[in-house]
Amino acid sequence: MTTLPAPPIASVTRQLSRRSVFEALLHRSPISRAELAKVTSLSKQTMSEVIDAFLQQGLVRPVGRTSGNVGRTAVLYELSPEGGHVLGIDLGARRLTVALADIAGRVLAEADEATDSRGGAWMLDQIARLSDRLARDNHTHPSRIRSIVMATPGVVNPKSGAIEMAPNITGLDHLNVVGLLGEKLGSPVILENDINLALLGEIWHGCAQNVDNVAYLALGSGVGLGLYVNGRLVRGENGAAGEIGYLPIGGDPLKAECRVQGCLEYEVGATGVVRRYREAGGSDVDSERQVFEQAQAGDPIAASVVDETARLTALAAATVIATVDPQVLVLGGSVGARPDFADKVARELLKLSPRPVEIRTSTLNRRAGVVGALSVALRRLHDEFFGVAELASVLPLPPPAQRSARQ
Amino acid sequence: MTRDADLCFAADLGGTKLAAAIADAGGRIVAELTEPTDPRGAAFVAEQIAACAGKLAHTVGIEVNQARHVMVGIPGAIEPGTGRVSLTPNIAGLEDFDMLGFLRGRFGADVAIENDVNLAMLGEHALGCASRCRNAAFLALGTGAGLGLLIDGKLFRGARGSAGEIADLPIGHDANGKVPSANGTFELEVGSAAIVERYQRQGGTSAATVRDIFKRLELGDEVAASVLDTTARWVALGLVTLQSLLDLELIVFGGSIGVRPELYERVRQSLPALFSRPIQILPSQLGDRAGLMGAAWAAGQALRQNIEFA
Repeated sequence: MTTLPAPPIASVTRQLSRRSVFEALLHRSPISRAELAKVTSLSKQTMSEVIDAFLQQGLVRPVGRTSGNVGRTAVLYELSPEGGHVLGIDLGARRLTVALADIAGRVLAEADEATDSRGGAWMLDQIARLSDRLARDNHTHPSRIRSIVMATPGVVNPKSGAIEMAPNITGLDHLNVVGLLGEKLGSPVILENDINLALLGEIWHGCAQNVDNVAYLALGSGVGLGLYVNGRLVRGENGAAGEIGYLPIGGDPLKAECRVQGCLEYEVGATGVVRRYREAGGSDVDSERQVFEQAQAGDPIAASVVDETARLTALAAATVIATVDPQVLVLGGSVGARPDFADKVARELLKLSPRPVEIRTSTLNRRAGVVGALSVALRRLHDEFFGVAELASVLPLPPPAQRSARQ
Repeated sequence: MTRDADLCFAADLGGTKLAAAIADAGGRIVAELTEPTDPRGAAFVAEQIAACAGKLAHTVGIEVNQARHVMVGIPGAIEPGTGRVSLTPNIAGLEDFDMLGFLRGRFGADVAIENDVNLAMLGEHALGCASRCRNAAFLALGTGAGLGLLIDGKLFRGARGSAGEIADLPIGHDANGKVPSANGTFELEVGSAAIVERYQRQGGTSAATVRDIFKRLELGDEVAASVLDTTARWVALGLVTLQSLLDLELIVFGGSIGVRPELYERVRQSLPALFSRPIQILPSQLGDRAGLMGAAWAAGQALRQNIEFA
């Protein structure tokens, strides 16, 4: 008689135990062993084994004792910042932002500077330099950074690693950005569309927490849309969902400029706002921000350009509402999140859409992309440590209350 | 295990006709019928659905209560959770009528209602031309315009069940006559009433329906051709909107106007000038039975799952 080899149940059980203890630590720190055993329904002995292993690995640390109760006090534990770090990067046309967080999702440090306008390799050097400085200033050895995610405009070509369709940043469409940046930072880098990450940022720490169905409309240098439905980003068949610059709104889609750049983008993108202001006889400006400032200062030409921009943005929002019926529509981006502008869009939308939707403005503003990058980097780290192949689910991220004070 | 004897009832309620069927657990239709929709409004229509079930049960030789699942397609938005129906201009009183409650009262608990175009999308996904797609839409063009959406392989209903209610899409002439896009809405450009009005405005000879206009086209009527060109261009702009938002693999054309090659071929021709990426269009393979077949398939699926997990 032969015996079959035992199935690897023990190891899966162990993985599940570790995972549930980690999840409890993520959401309930500081917490005692007894309390951990209670919330995870694990035996005291299993709990002790897991905690001892975590202590040895440097994943948890004691942070004091329970107090106030009669009887013996118990040691409280929390996730140790030494457990592993993640890096989030937001490469914007104008600003580069980098943030460092620990395994518990606490943002340890953040830095930003003007993006190197020379583009290409200079830009990649700048990203590496700023990341290194941030890690060094926080006494974090680069080897402890286990997961890196970067937000970028455009679309990443999965074959070449280059960033394409990003007209506002130069020289990255012929470089293997994924490969080169991974070498410079000493760890693989995941690239993701900046609008999608800004949306995930708002869902984790910003204005769209606990909403299942969110549309994020960003207006800044360009215009874009992120869609999040039932816990997932909507990407489309070729990753081009949300490219709303191409909506046939604002201009004649048969015109060559519209076909290349997209009708809506041609009108409401930063260069479109400046162009329309100049064409209408406005003073000499070189950024859309100046047009908005002129409008606030009482310049009637600037005011009418801003009004038209709000009207076109509201039309775009109305197409989103009619087609995907979001629970909440978030307005973001350097223009979109301006409260005066968002109010105008909301008023226009009331005239256009028979089905009013709740409109919120971004609360993370410029930080949305980097916070979203951190959230994805964190999920990947948790998955690397505690993913269980038999479980399709992902660990829920810790709530923003865990975030430490920003420097 | 499913047994061949397990049957379900499916119906597709439209503004002008009601189609109903009894199907097996595989979603295969074993008997079906079509009637003009009772024009007296929601309560009468509900009784009509129940009566159709009775007639079909008699044909097949079962009692109505032997239908183990019921799926009814409704021409409106259905709020998830409550089953409340809205946006149903074509059937009087449907918004204030508890259709789900009525059907449960008549058929028992295993009753579901679903947007009719969503069911047509499901039908094409399960049995028709969208069987290999994960991201697709079913565009129904007839009296009005509606969209059923399949995103990442699943029906996409929206937060309040009104995803794809594109009648209000702000794609149409604006008040200033500036073309394209602004305050006009999509249905006011591509709905059947808009097409007939456009034909009459351009001095076409007597045509009361879109069907008449298609007939005139066959006779070489230039006004009819021009009216369809204009209509197709608005439809194409609707598709550009859809692709910009959702990046779909395929858009299935259905509905009495949508399935006409005279229309969708014109849409195909006008797309390349309007959008830099290709957009794939196919006419509905299931035709005017897409909604009913989708309903039967969905009812059968519910039946199969119930039995598997019982």
